[in-house]
Amino acid sequence: MSETKPKKTTGRVNSFKIIQAIISVLFLAFLSWRLYNVISSGVYGPDTWVRFAISGLIIGSVYAVIAIGYTLVYGILFMINFAHGELMMIGAFSGYFVFEALKSIPVAATGMSFLDSYQIISVVLAFIVGMFMAALSGYFLEKIAYRPLRGAPRLIPLISAIGASIFLQNAAQVTFGPQRRTYTNPDALLRSQGWRIPIGGEEVILTYTGVLTFVLSILLLIGLYTLVMRTRYGRSMRAVAENKQTAALMGINVDRIISNTFIISGALGGAAGVMWGIHNGIIYHFVGFIPGIKAFTAAVLGGIGNIPGAMVGGLLLGIVESLGPAALGIDFQLKDVIAFSILVLILIFRPSGIVGEVLTEEKV
Amino acid sequence: MSILETRNVTKRFGGLSAVDNVTLQIPEGSIYSIIGPNGAGKTTLYNCITGFYPADEGDMLFNGKSLMGLSPDRITRLGISRTYQNIRLFPAMTALENILVGAHPQLKSNYVDAFLHTPRQRAEEKKALEDAQDLLNFVGLKGKGDLFARGLPYGEQRRLEMARALANKPKIILLDEPTAGMNPNESVTMMRFIQSLRDELGITILLIEHDMKVEMGISEFIYVLDFGQLIAKGTPGEIQKNPQVIESYLGRGAA
Amino acid sequence: MKDLIKQGLRLGSIFGVVIIFLILFGLTSTLSDILGEFVNLESRTRTGNPGGLMILFALLSLWAGSSASASDRSNWKSALVSGVSVSLIIGLFVAAFILLVGFLDSADVEMRDYLAQLDHLSVQFLLYGRSLIAGVLITFGIFLIFGILGALLAYWYEAKQAGEVIQKQVLVLKEKALDSKLAKQYKENPRSKWIGYGLLGLVVFITPQFLGKYWNYAMGTVGIYVLMGLGLNIVVGLAGLLDLGYVAFFAIGAYTAGLLTAPAPLPLQIGFWPVLIFSIVMAAFAGILLGIPVLRMRGDYLAIVTLGFGEIIRVLIRSDMLAPYVGGPQGIRDIAGPSLFGIAFSGKAYLYLIIIAILLIILFTNYLQNSKVGRAWMAMREDETVAQAMGINTLYYKLMAFATGAAFAGLGGALFAARNQYTGPADHTLMVSINVLSLLIVGGMGSIPGVIVGAFVLKGLPEILRELDLYRLLVFGGLLVFMMIIRPEGIWPAPRRRMELHEGELDVLPPEESLVGKEG
Repeated sequence: MSETKPKKTTGRVNSFKIIQAIISVLFLAFLSWRLYNVISSGVYGPDTWVRFAISGLIIGSVYAVIAIGYTLVYGILFMINFAHGELMMIGAFSGYFVFEALKSIPVAATGMSFLDSYQIISVVLAFIVGMFMAALSGYFLEKIAYRPLRGAPRLIPLISAIGASIFLQNAAQVTFGPQRRTYTNPDALLRSQGWRIPIGGEEVILTYTGVLTFVLSILLLIGLYTLVMRTRYGRSMRAVAENKQTAALMGINVDRIISNTFIISGALGGAAGVMWGIHNGIIYHFVGFIPGIKAFTAAVLGGIGNIPGAMVGGLLLGIVESLGPAALGIDFQLKDVIAFSILVLILIFRPSGIVGEVLTEEKV
Repeated sequence: MSILETRNVTKRFGGLSAVDNVTLQIPEGSIYSIIGPNGAGKTTLYNCITGFYPADEGDMLFNGKSLMGLSPDRITRLGISRTYQNIRLFPAMTALENILVGAHPQLKSNYVDAFLHTPRQRAEEKKALEDAQDLLNFVGLKGKGDLFARGLPYGEQRRLEMARALANKPKIILLDEPTAGMNPNESVTMMRFIQSLRDELGITILLIEHDMKVEMGISEFIYVLDFGQLIAKGTPGEIQKNPQVIESYLGRGAA
Repeated sequence: MKDLIKQGLRLGSIFGVVIIFLILFGLTSTLSDILGEFVNLESRTRTGNPGGLMILFALLSLWAGSSASASDRSNWKSALVSGVSVSLIIGLFVAAFILLVGFLDSADVEMRDYLAQLDHLSVQFLLYGRSLIAGVLITFGIFLIFGILGALLAYWYEAKQAGEVIQKQVLVLKEKALDSKLAKQYKENPRSKWIGYGLLGLVVFITPQFLGKYWNYAMGTVGIYVLMGLGLNIVVGLAGLLDLGYVAFFAIGAYTAGLLTAPAPLPLQIGFWPVLIFSIVMAAFAGILLGIPVLRMRGDYLAIVTLGFGEIIRVLIRSDMLAPYVGGPQGIRDIAGPSLFGIAFSGKAYLYLIIIAILLIILFTNYLQNSKVGRAWMAMREDETVAQAMGINTLYYKLMAFATGAAFAGLGGALFAARNQYTGPADHTLMVSINVLSLLIVGGMGSIPGVIVGAFVLKGLPEILRELDLYRLLVFGGLLVFMMIIRPEGIWPAPRRRMELHEGELDVLPPEESLVGKEG
């Protein structure tokens, strides 16, 4: 009755691994060959490489902050919050409006606008409002679009999230208009200004906005890590992620924890949005989408559910994306292709990410 | 000669050996049982035999050929069927469809046949449907073929799962606590049914049971597992008297 | 009493915020125009119909009032209390907002720079063309009066039990209709199914004759989306593999057809028919190629990887690097259309071609669904581990689902490119994937009539509601969320899916305790 007879005892698990190894070796060889060619041809001087690396680190730190938002939500609800990028967009717009409003308030004592008179307060205010608005949106997003669907098959909340994402993008488009807007930073944070570092006879500018973005990202990540790993509240969050029923039996208010998770992840997204605006300058209704997907890539790259992993993943993705096209000698338009190719490769060869997933068996 | 044989099979999770050096020999046409308390590694052993967990050590032979490294679907196609302790039907498919899925390895038509609805495929499909209907009647679910599996009562789900396993025309069937959740009367009926599978269809039966009494009635030979290790084997009479078995059931604290 | 007020306040603030957002989106102008036109009111401003706006506000407050009184309609007093509290709050919210906006406008603040919908004219429209105070008071009055009216009407309706009477009558009518001789004959006649199909087919084949050029084109687009929907239905609906990069296969079909038939960038100009076949094969091949590495992944990862793949294809086709081979951002022009016996297909004839393609695909889908293959797919969707234990080579069947879905998308892409005689990167955005997935969900996953209904709703309705063009995606996004909450199984669901989503899990099937981990 048997269709096939067992011919060999070596399983396909082994053959798959062998193929995998061969492909990896070939791929690495190809990469090194391209890299060798590019470097030996000397198209880019050392200053260019440093410039790429710096911009990669900065953009990567923003990815990391967004990625944490994905990881937190995924860790607890096992759903991809597709609309997370839109929370970032909301944060970016909020920060923009704060700057615009402060710019229009004159201060008699200095003869300049509030924005330029009290620069630190202005920036802090922009971050607070941006984080607050995004957190608020995150809260309502969960309440309206996800909570009624808890317990439904996995596809259903994902579709709902896609719907929410489309809705928020277009709501922003019709409310604020489709045009691109430029952040008006306070004087001290002009995007062209920065420390000048001489490298290889050339000058590399380390912009103030970039440093602000990077430092702030790292602070946020450390703060969040402490919150989740070191506090009582973080412990209940982890308990809910582990097993909702048991957590509820232990007296943890699961709904509240989930709500708060969305608030925290929204606030992080909002902060990322303001950073994006201050550093990159241009925002529009679609601004959250691509960074959102990239950040998800970063989260997967580092191992989803894992906070330090998301950090490593974000920084790595930023660097690879910005160094990759130059290193491989290909068109800079194709940096998104590099990012997504990395995602595909990582998922094929190391599905639990670089640092490793933090998922219990039940979730997988 | 034994139809199924495991030789020193070991399966570890982390540092823990869920199955530790287990050797079984199941002769063709027999009814054998594996018993043991919860967590003794019985279901893990099934998962190793059916290919869901790769065994870390040892060998498993079906009709003298090794099963090591084969994927679960290949192993099923060789003629090994199984059921699950916590019934795992396809809930949103009808009873008949469930059985037809079970008959999958029996259908020889390929993808192109299905796509083009070739005469060969149509004939085979018709035959398969008749066979599935026969099986449905055989397990006593006549007329319930169009009901969704999820909608059936517990006992009927058990029997449907059995029919699905039989649709593969297996040489050996591995049953995982087939009487779980049944009252004594139902259990007796189920055991009689299982015996008839062997007597009428000639299928070798391997049973997992938690409860000692039930399988004593029909088993010819019993293996006892505890903490992944084989602690005793013998006929039902011998097992009942074995002090080690009694101890593992009553708990070490009592002994 | 206190609870009633609390409830009213809560509901009132929700309504208030939503109405403010409607104003910010500019939806109030559009809706007031539609309503105004409906009751034949003359419009006095360019940005909306003030009379229509009053009607809109009145309707919204009627709704708010009646739903506020839903918690307690036992006596008219409690209905009044909830009506007053809800309408007061809405009135305050909206009136305060309009007051603020009106004040800013009169102070010559250019809000338009930040809020695109709030220019001077639309503020005037929100004030019904009157002074600031008068406009705000009218709005407040409308909300107050109609909110209370709504609550009282709802109470009266309940008191008279008018609702139940009407419901009963409808039920009786329905039963009568089902019991009638004709219905019985129809049900019992085995040929009736074929008569139904025949009638449907007749309608399908006659309709294009009466469609104008514009509708012909629109229906063609709907048809191509039906094709893609049928393909994705196999991947997602039957096999349960969430593919968010479906547009990649559409693009491969379109570009294969384009590159091989157009004079530039590759001077090949092969005829349409062989190229059509080749496009399908290419797409299926791409499906397998992508499938081999990614199909071992679990659900969500698969979704994101396929999404990434779709983006890669899009970036590649518009990149300068590949421009000499695939046309870059400009795309491919002068793609050859099909012709048979020297007669070129265009307009109506092309629509028939699409219809024939759809019918063929429906036939094949049906065959697949009711075969060993379809059952294997469904089993995998239900429980992959057990499906494998049934002897199903899950990897093979997943690949087949992927390839089949990709082939259908390739067919759709080729037909699309040949009809437009053009294809470019703008035709292959992520929105296409999302649209196809959404039509599947809106229509009903796993159901062929559902796919057709979904395509009409998603691609057809927007053509009808041209006035709402600006808000198409906004409404669509909201609709997706709403649909998932209210009716996740879609408009015309497959019976098994309806059951899956609505019947509570029976406790005989505990998912825990399984020693073999689900979804590997």
